[in-house]
Amino acid sequence: MARVEFRNVRKEFQDHSKESFTAVAGSDFVINDKEFVVFVGPSGCGKTTSLRMIAGLEHQTSGDILIGDRVVNNLHPKDRDIAMVFQDYALYPHMTIRDNLSFGLKNLKKPKAYIDQKVKEAAAILDMEPMLGRKPRELSGGQRQRVALGRAIVRDPQVFLFDEPLSNLDAKLRVQMRVELSELHKRLGATIVYVTHDQVEAMTLGERIVVMNRGIIQQIANPTELYAKPRNMFVAGFIGSPPMNFIDASIEGGRVVVEGGSFELPAAKLDALSPYAGRKLILGIRPEDIHGEDYAPGLETSPHRMNTHIQVVEHLGSENLLYFHIGGRLVTAKVHPETKAYPGLEKPFIFDMRKAHFFDPDSEQRIEI
Amino acid sequence: MQTTASPKRTSSGSGRFLREYGWAYLFILAPVLLFLVFTLYPVASAFVMSFQQYQVMGSTWIGLDNYKHMIGDDVFWKSIRNTVIFTIATVPVNILITFVLAYLIFQMKNKAQTFFKATLYLPAVASGVTISVVWLAIFDPTDSGLLNRFLGLLGIDPVIWLGQSGTALFSLILMNWLGSHGAGIILYLASMGGVPKSLYEAADIDHASGWTKFARITWPLLKPTTLYLLVTGIITSFQVFISVYLMTQGGPNFATTTIAYLIYQTAFQFYEFGLASAQSFVLALLIVIVSVLQFKAFSSDVEY
Ligand SMILES: Nc1ncnc2c1ncn2[C@@H]1O[C@H](COP(=O)(O)OP(=O)(O)O)[C@@H](O)[C@H]1O
Ligand SMILES: [Mg+2]
Repeated sequence: MARVEFRNVRKEFQDHSKESFTAVAGSDFVINDKEFVVFVGPSGCGKTTSLRMIAGLEHQTSGDILIGDRVVNNLHPKDRDIAMVFQDYALYPHMTIRDNLSFGLKNLKKPKAYIDQKVKEAAAILDMEPMLGRKPRELSGGQRQRVALGRAIVRDPQVFLFDEPLSNLDAKLRVQMRVELSELHKRLGATIVYVTHDQVEAMTLGERIVVMNRGIIQQIANPTELYAKPRNMFVAGFIGSPPMNFIDASIEGGRVVVEGGSFELPAAKLDALSPYAGRKLILGIRPEDIHGEDYAPGLETSPHRMNTHIQVVEHLGSENLLYFHIGGRLVTAKVHPETKAYPGLEKPFIFDMRKAHFFDPDSEQRIEI
Repeated sequence: MQTTASPKRTSSGSGRFLREYGWAYLFILAPVLLFLVFTLYPVASAFVMSFQQYQVMGSTWIGLDNYKHMIGDDVFWKSIRNTVIFTIATVPVNILITFVLAYLIFQMKNKAQTFFKATLYLPAVASGVTISVVWLAIFDPTDSGLLNRFLGLLGIDPVIWLGQSGTALFSLILMNWLGSHGAGIILYLASMGGVPKSLYEAADIDHASGWTKFARITWPLLKPTTLYLLVTGIITSFQVFISVYLMTQGGPNFATTTIAYLIYQTAFQFYEFGLASAQSFVLALLIVIVSVLQFKAFSSDVEY
């Protein structure tokens, strides 16, 4: 019942010189009931604006927004049956945690016993019973975070909206809260729309992910598909860390040719690339799909080898990052720590062409092969 | 860059200390000297004076006589009563007016805000004398006085505003209500701007009505400003002098004699400096007590 739908929703802002700026350019999507959808994209791409339009805190310039089966275009935030967790938490600083939690229910004129019950439940779920009498300033960042969550939970809304709720926490707490959020979602069975600029957060939390850039939705897909089949170079480069390598390439004599080497492709894939014969295209390969010849389990007999000149080695413990240049572009390889590598070493690398992507250099779209 | 952050303890410690921190003490010395000469010394000598029969050449020690005389003086009690009435009648009303004006201005667009801020601040720049002169014209007792002429339109007979005991103090109060609220408005506007917008958005989502947002968010978060205006307002009002001096000279029949005016009269019309000093100390004591009480009463639930 609590699906959220955007139909060609646009948002333009007027700046001081009365010039209009498009923050969200014609969004179309459907978020299903009980689904956990994450909006991800670089800062300023229109994520918060999208979320605030769902909440009704910002009014769209054009298009329709539906929550459940209602068009909510002209509904006040309080009538949309949503709850929002703000990036800065927006806790009421002068109220105790108990009052922060019960504020919404009191405004709804719920009976006192009901309010007490709800507050108690939320406090139990979030493990914050001892804090109920305190004021927000007496809590740590993580605890405030929980209160903000609790304030949303007590209301039993149809849709939860989260705006970068973990961005003010330290790395360890962030990981912990990520797990708790996932569990909370299962437990509450609510529709969650979650905004973040952190692709790791998006990949770990989202059942589906909406990738945005410059106000435009680039792709909507589940994490596996987003990783395996990015629609364009932006998504390919944004999802995954370190980001996908892009190498200038061309198709010559049935082979993919890059500076310093070439790779053979199966006939089926070559077919799809045939329109690009003699033209430039871009080879995309993820750092984890490039292996040192001496440690490439399952790929020992791969013919897709190429000599490169290692320039920088970064030791991360569980893996090493190697940097080298191909065709003037910096390329990263994420290899097993037992791979022999030091700056200046020239050695053969195996490129896992089964996982390679090809992009049209003009449209930057992925070529389906 | 060389900084003075880490003075090293060496054998010539004091010399080094002076070299590194000497300037700082020199700069602090100036205001401290000013305070000693022009504040602490006069206050201390006034305290001594309050136990003396003051004469330019050789005062005589008279113990508590000044205080005894003061307590037995009807005019002194009347001045306290007037001052308290004036304070109770003006300060809360002024804060209310200031708050309402600030709240209205806060909702406006940028340019309108600037216009009203400037306009309403203007009276604060004008001297009390100028304002009093204007109000003398308004309160003019003849039927050509502005206020009387206005009342005449409503068919009300002219009132001798400042010249009769029944209306004199009220006239001063009215003048104070309609006086300058600019500074308070600026303070309120600043703290209203300091309340994060997201609190109101959260409240919107939390089903808060306009009144709830005002009563449960705006007003409590502005309490520090209100407390500040209350304390400074009461202190100023306890010392009200200029309007009394210029418009009624404390009359008629001491109906507008305030403590500050009484002190002035005692000292500079009757040259009883000892008695005036005693009265000053009572005024100071009153102010301290009232301020402390206010902080006690309000600060427990103020969110700084
Ligand atoms: N109230 C506003 N007025 C003008 N421009 C705005 C406003 N809110 C957001 N923007 C602009 O819209 C773009 C998208 O903002 P936002 O949705 O907050 O991005 P993000 O993806 O980082 O959350 C940004 O360029 C921002 O500057
Ligand atoms: Mg944002």
